[in-house]
Amino acid sequence: MKKAFITFVVFACLAPQCLAEDFLSVSGRLNLRGVIPLNNSSPTEYPSLLGRVKIDTKPATWRFHMWLEGGWDGSVDLPSHDHSVLKTWDEVYQSTTPFLEFKELYGAYSTDFLEIRAGVQRFSWGRLDEYPVNDLLNPWDNTQFLRKSLEDRKIGVPSLSARVNKGNWNLEAVWVPLFVPYRLPLPTERWAGYSEIAALAERSDVEVLTRQPELPPRTLKNSSVGLRFQNTGNVDWAVTLFHGYDPRPVFKTTELVVSTQPGRMLIDPGVEPDFNKMSSIGIDAATVKGDWSIRAEAAYAFGRYFNTKRELWGYPAVIAPGSYRLNPNEHKSDTIEYGVGVDYRLFEDCLLTMQAQQTVIMNRPDTLYDRKFETLFWGNLKNGFMNQKVETNLNLAYNPEHGDIMAKANAWYVFTDYWKAGLTAVAFWGPYESLFGRYSKNDQIEAEVVFSW
Amino acid sequence: MIDARFVLLLLILAAMSVQSAYAMNGRDVYEKVQELRTRALDRKTEATMELYDRGGGKRTRTLTEYGRNASPEAYKALVVFNSPADLKGVGFLIHAHTFSDRDLWAYFPEYRRVRRIPNSSQDDSFFGSDFSYDDFSGPPNLNDYSFKILREEKFDGKDCYVVEVKPKERRKYTSYIAWVAKNLWIHTKIDYYQGRDLYRSGVFRDMRNIDGIPTPFRIEMQNLKTRHRTVLKIRNIRYRTKFSDELFSQRALERGGR
Repeated sequence: MKKAFITFVVFACLAPQCLAEDFLSVSGRLNLRGVIPLNNSSPTEYPSLLGRVKIDTKPATWRFHMWLEGGWDGSVDLPSHDHSVLKTWDEVYQSTTPFLEFKELYGAYSTDFLEIRAGVQRFSWGRLDEYPVNDLLNPWDNTQFLRKSLEDRKIGVPSLSARVNKGNWNLEAVWVPLFVPYRLPLPTERWAGYSEIAALAERSDVEVLTRQPELPPRTLKNSSVGLRFQNTGNVDWAVTLFHGYDPRPVFKTTELVVSTQPGRMLIDPGVEPDFNKMSSIGIDAATVKGDWSIRAEAAYAFGRYFNTKRELWGYPAVIAPGSYRLNPNEHKSDTIEYGVGVDYRLFEDCLLTMQAQQTVIMNRPDTLYDRKFETLFWGNLKNGFMNQKVETNLNLAYNPEHGDIMAKANAWYVFTDYWKAGLTAVAFWGPYESLFGRYSKNDQIEAEVVFSW
Repeated sequence: MIDARFVLLLLILAAMSVQSAYAMNGRDVYEKVQELRTRALDRKTEATMELYDRGGGKRTRTLTEYGRNASPEAYKALVVFNSPADLKGVGFLIHAHTFSDRDLWAYFPEYRRVRRIPNSSQDDSFFGSDFSYDDFSGPPNLNDYSFKILREEKFDGKDCYVVEVKPKERRKYTSYIAWVAKNLWIHTKIDYYQGRDLYRSGVFRDMRNIDGIPTPFRIEMQNLKTRHRTVLKIRNIRYRTKFSDELFSQRALERGGR
C-alpha cells in the first residue's frame, strides 16, 4: 500500500513534466525555513523543508485538480509511535514528519452555468480576513496556529459541491459526508500554546499522555452541509447557511490520572478535544465607496460550545499520584459574530487593510474566560518597492477585552521569477489564556528561502 | 469698392482655414481611436510581460486577457496571470457599465477571496509592472477628457497626429501627449505627465493587421522616475471572439478564466 502510494506521488510529480503542456498545468514550490526562538524556554523548532505541487488539467468540461503538500516539518515532535506518512482524517494529534497531505484533490464537471466538484476540497466563504465568521466548512490545522495563513490552516474535506450561475446570481451547495476533525499540536510542541499541561510537559521527569479523542460516528446524520446564495452588483452580497460540526477547538474534561514509574511521572491530563454540532445563518457584503473597498459579514450561530476558565476545571494545586475527577468545563450558547474590513491605498503599491470584528456570547455565565463581547482589531500595511521586487508587511492584531497583542513584520526580496527570500519577526503579549497571550513564549524570527516553478 | 459680401466670404474662409489647419480636431481623432478600440473589445490575448529593473534584472510574467463588448453595458474584461508560480491564478475582472463607470475585482489565490478594487486605483501599477490597471481596461469615456492637436509629425515611420489629452477630473497623470497614427487610428507613442514632469512613456511597435484591426505586438512602457521598464509582447491575439457572460463572472475569476 505504502509503495503504491509513493509510486503515485512520484508519478504525480514527474508525469506532468513528461506530458504535453496542452493537457496539464503544473506548478510547485519548495520552502526552506529556519526559526530562531527569542525565548529560551520555548520548545525548539528544527529547520523545515516543505514542498507543494499543484496539478490541473487544462480547461475542459471535465477537469482534475490536485494540490499535494509534504516534506519535513521541524515544528513537530518526532512521533512516539508509528504514524502514517499521509495525514489522515481520523486523528486530532498527528505529530507526523516527514508527511504528505492532499490539501485538494477533486474532479470537476462544468458547463457555462453549472459546476459540480467531488473530492477533497477547501472552501472560502465570507469576506473577512483571518476569522471569516461564515467560513465553517473546513476544520483548521491548529498545529502552527497564527504562524500559518488562514488558507494554509484549512484542512481539505471530502465533499460534493455544486454551483449554479445565472447572470449575477450564484448558488453553491456543499455536502461533507464524512466528519473530519480539527488538528492540534502535542503539548510538548512549540505551537501548543501555554497551559498547565504544556508547562508540566516541559519537565524532563514528566510524560504527558495524549489520547486521540473518540470521533463522532461517521453517519449521514453527522455530515455537514452548507448553502450560499450570492449576488454580484454595485454591492456584492451573500446569504450563507451552515449545519454541521463547529470547526473551532473546544475541550471536555474527564479525569486527571497521575501515576509514577521509576524516574518519571505519567500524567493523563483528563482533557480531550470535543466536537459539537452547530447551525449558523449569515450574511456578507462588499462594495466600493470612493477610495475605500469595504466588506462586512455577520452570522448568528446556534449552539456553540465554550470552555470555562481553566482555574475552574478542578486541577489540584499540587500534582501527586492519584485520580482526580475534573469539573465539567463546557458551556453552550448562541452567538452573534460580525465584523467590517476596509482596504485603502495610501499611495501606489501601499495598501492599508483594517478590520474590526466582534463575537457576542448571548448567554454568558461568569465562569467563561471569554467576555460577553470579544473584539478583535486587525491592521495590515502592505508595501511594494522597486516594482514589487521588495515587499514588506506590517501586521498588528489586538484584543482589547484581555489586552493581548500580536505584532508581525516581514520582508521579502524577489531575486528571480523562481527564487525569493524573506524574514519574518513575530511577537505576542497578553495573559496566558488569551488568544495571543498563550503564545507569548513563541516570539521568533523566521528566515525562509522559496523556490517556485 | 470691395463688395461687403466678398469681405464676408474672405472672413469665413479665413475662419475655416484656421479651424482646418488640421483636417480633424483632437476629439475627432479620438472618436476614431475609440471606434477602433470598441471594435477590438471582443478578443482573447495571450501576452508576455517582461519587467526590467535599472540594474538589468529581468522578471517575466505571462497572462491571458479576455474581452467582451457588453452592449448596452460598455464592456467586460478578465485578465489572468499564468506565470510565474507566485502570480499564477491572480486575476482581475472589469464590468464597465459605461466607459467611465466600472466595477473592478481582483482575485488572489493565496487568500482565495475576491476583493473589490476602487476605481481610483486605475492609474496605479498593474501588479508591479510599469503599466497601470487602466492600460488593461477598455476605452475611456471621451467626455472625461479634453483633446487638442498640437502638431503632426512622423513617428516610427508613420504619419501621426500629436494630441494633448487632459483628464477633466483629477487623475495621477495631469496630461498625456499621444501620437496617433493617421489612417490606422492607433497609438504609436504616449507620454504621461505629472505637471511638467514626464513620468512614463509608452511606445507601440510591431504593428500587424489582425482581422482588419491594426494591433501593436510589442508595447514598451518606461517609468522615467525609477528607470524601470516593462515590455509587453503579444504572443497570440484573436478578435471577434464571442465569449459567454459566464467567463466574466466571479466564478471564472476564481478559476483563472476556466
